[in-house]
Amino acid sequence: MVVAEEQLKRLDSLKGIGCKRKRKEDPRFVQGRGNYVDDIKLKGMLHADMVRSPYAHARIKGINKEKALALPGVHAVLSAVDLEPLKLHWMPTLAGDVQAVLADKKVHFQYQEVAVVIADNRYIAADAVELVQVEYEELPPLVDAHQALAEDAPVPREDLLDKMEGAHGPRKHANHIFRWEAGERERTDRAFAAAEVTVKQDMYYPRVHPSPLETCGCVASFDKANEHLTVYLTSQAPHVVRTVVSMLSGLPESKIRIVSPDIGGGFGNKVGVYPGYVTAIVASIVLGRPVKWVEDRMENLSTTAFARDYHMTGELAADKDGRIKGLRAYVLADHGAFDACADPSKFPAGLFHICTGSYDIPTAHVEVDGVYTNKAPGGVAYRCSFRVTEAVYLIERMMDVLAQKLDMDKAEIRLRNFIKPGQFPYQTCLGWEIDSGSYAEGLNKALAAVDYPALRREQVEKRAQGELMGIGIVTFTEIVGAGPSRNCDILGVGMFDSAEIRVHPTGSVIARMGTITQGQGHETTYAQIIATELGLPSDQIQIEEGDTDTAPYGLGTYGSRSTPVAGAAIAMAARKIRAKASRIAAHLLEVSEADLEWDIDGFKVKGVPGAVKTMKEIAWAAYNNVPEGMEPGLESVNYYDPPNFTYPSGAYVCVVDIDRHTGATRVRRFYALDDCGTRINPMIIEGQIHGGLNEGFAVAMGQELPYDESGNLLGNTFMDYFIPTFVETPRWETDETVTPSPHHPLGAKGVGESAHVGSIPCFTAAIVDAFAHLGVTHMDMPHNACRVWKQIDALGLNKPA
Amino acid sequence: MKVELDKAFKIAAPASAAWQFLQQIEAVAACMPGAEITEQIDAHNYKGKVKSRIGPATMAFDGAIEIKGIDPEKRELRLRGSGQDTKGTSSASMDLTAWVVDGAEAGCELKGQAEVSVNGKVASLGGRMMNQVADQILNQFGKNFADNVLAAGSDEQAAKAKAQLAAKPRELNALALAWSVLLGLLKRLFKKGD
Repeated sequence: MVVAEEQLKRLDSLKGIGCKRKRKEDPRFVQGRGNYVDDIKLKGMLHADMVRSPYAHARIKGINKEKALALPGVHAVLSAVDLEPLKLHWMPTLAGDVQAVLADKKVHFQYQEVAVVIADNRYIAADAVELVQVEYEELPPLVDAHQALAEDAPVPREDLLDKMEGAHGPRKHANHIFRWEAGERERTDRAFAAAEVTVKQDMYYPRVHPSPLETCGCVASFDKANEHLTVYLTSQAPHVVRTVVSMLSGLPESKIRIVSPDIGGGFGNKVGVYPGYVTAIVASIVLGRPVKWVEDRMENLSTTAFARDYHMTGELAADKDGRIKGLRAYVLADHGAFDACADPSKFPAGLFHICTGSYDIPTAHVEVDGVYTNKAPGGVAYRCSFRVTEAVYLIERMMDVLAQKLDMDKAEIRLRNFIKPGQFPYQTCLGWEIDSGSYAEGLNKALAAVDYPALRREQVEKRAQGELMGIGIVTFTEIVGAGPSRNCDILGVGMFDSAEIRVHPTGSVIARMGTITQGQGHETTYAQIIATELGLPSDQIQIEEGDTDTAPYGLGTYGSRSTPVAGAAIAMAARKIRAKASRIAAHLLEVSEADLEWDIDGFKVKGVPGAVKTMKEIAWAAYNNVPEGMEPGLESVNYYDPPNFTYPSGAYVCVVDIDRHTGATRVRRFYALDDCGTRINPMIIEGQIHGGLNEGFAVAMGQELPYDESGNLLGNTFMDYFIPTFVETPRWETDETVTPSPHHPLGAKGVGESAHVGSIPCFTAAIVDAFAHLGVTHMDMPHNACRVWKQIDALGLNKPA
Repeated sequence: MKVELDKAFKIAAPASAAWQFLQQIEAVAACMPGAEITEQIDAHNYKGKVKSRIGPATMAFDGAIEIKGIDPEKRELRLRGSGQDTKGTSSASMDLTAWVVDGAEAGCELKGQAEVSVNGKVASLGGRMMNQVADQILNQFGKNFADNVLAAGSDEQAAKAKAQLAAKPRELNALALAWSVLLGLLKRLFKKGD
């Protein structure tokens, strides 16, 4: 027992995997010592601000810059004609399309960038923006995606009129971007024809936008003497940005340094390359001075990457006992004016074909049509390019619709269709290999935790009294950790990630990755992985990310990929170091490597008490006493190309009470059970889940970016756009099961987006369930009081009995 | 963002007097709070300005007015006004049909149908209030119009109308507008309970 206690003590001192280690980032953040892009002030720095279009669709008849240029303090006013000689008035998107940097002869969406003003300070720039006179000729806008493929629909993208072969195959209409399908159409049609029961449901996942505390921005600084460009940028993928900037500017990548400093929340809003970045870079090169561009909140909500805008139709075929025989899904995807998603090249609808969910579905067929409209581009945020959120929403809604059709319990129908533990690794009919999962265990644990039978009994009583109570259940499976390079690339670069670890002589460590933290706490958790793998205390392990001059190339942080991909790279790099350390230890202990065994923080000789070399001792030896023929030093690099995605899952339950007079909804209870495999820092996981649930609550209950018939964006201020505070936010209950990923070096699956993905359909499920006994099968989000009241009113529930 | 408005204003003057006034485009434009005609281009086209202060923001629209038709038989005027704000962030247009009908007791009624459409920041920020704001602007317009028609006379009523016109605010007053919008809302709220 003494030995065990001694070992535990050593284990605790490492603060490695499984430790609720406090976030290393927090001391500087809570003291206001963070270093964000807008904190960066360089000598002689100028400021940029944008002239934006009031119209969704219009021709530019002329731009008069005279008055703006006459304003003291204004250095330049650039429009498309100024960028054209540099061939920078258009730029490639990550999805194989092109996007106007500054509107070229016409505007495609409201608030599109038309000209950029560079001035001594932000105030002068803003004043000058108002002095730029743009003459427009209004064109009829295309706002409704359902009208996009009509013969007489307005055409936003006249530049593509003679390019009917798109980046993802043939286009069937000037407003068509791609048609993508997966699965077997005929086999699925046969399953539907033979089915005892079929159900069909239309649903719309509205356009929403993340609201990171920090909006997007950059400081571009071109050093003319050395022809070296440095850009401080709010980017979730700095290395990819460097590649894009190199392709655009013609500068070699070695002459470009992209730095993502502290990032105040990303959520996919900070993946893309925006006109503001490009124009700041151009202005800095032209003017020879640093140029800062930082968008304001309205610009953020109106122009940089949104999420969703998916019009979906789901269909299920089943037998009378609720066993699913087939799934059909059709999606009309509104991509806005430019296809600026960041999906893997092969998959223009991302990983939407994870839409068979946690269920054993024998056949399925999915079709997605992407269309252009006169709306802002960039469906990237909130897993949007990967479309997992949309896929989970579709299948989870359809499970409920089927249960209602069969008059079956919504938990029972899931239990009947789950992929069973013995079926893993499970090949889905749409081509994925789900690595592992404990779906029934998770749901049963969730049902017991909330006393599900008692809730249903209470619901029966409430309904008898005319009250509205709803219980939502969701059992989701995600696909994260993009991804294996055989499936996934962006601009031809495989979606691997990387880690470089250097152990210093005294046993402290610096490690750098190709990812970039935006609040996920990488500085804390990555150090824990190294601590466990190398037996060195995490408090002495420094993590650095985001500087392309120092960090190894990686694809960045989004789509819950940091732990599944970079986390694996860290473990593999650390294991290379440990292998070398083992040879040094054998040399120091004068034994063969085969006689050694790893023991928490060093190597010991099997069966010889006291014959131990700690990693600290080995690190010192690595710099002065290595075996003959071995290179000194103790460092390694790993580029990890994952063999498969990882598949986190969860079982969520939501209970709501709805006021039948006002439509106001109270979330009485929200229970979230997550299975993200090995848990590296349970406290950080819980924080991520709380954050994701808050976001999910905001999206489901209030957020949307509505456009009116003229293409005016009506939800782009916090007066309209719902941001829940602690006043509105429900209390969250979290729980877990642990089913490690068999192919990940640590067994970890990733968790960042699970709660967002899983909670949104759960809120909808609970709201709809409150009306299910009255025949309601679906209600579109957001479930604000007004919309819920309209449902109540339509059913006459607010009238006196 | 579009709204359609239907309004009617009672005027204690004969229809002929109201119709006479309705044909004086510059004078009619001046009845619109904050609006003025700055230039007549030809018989049917004018340039004008509308200035309004809503909250902290002053919006000044430069625009064009086109007379689409004058029909003396129906005593009807049709016009289209459109413009952009001078800061380039918003635009607005209005198609208006106004006509005069005989009313009860020697009076008349000015009737108006308008489709107002706004784009840009003003739609994003003010879209929700647009119906009420447009309604109140037109109410002020109707009042000014009636006063102008009456002021053409020489009786006691005309003197009162002249005094009211002299006191009228030169541009759309934010506080007064907010107050009248609020009153309008309250009236509607309580009307429901009648």
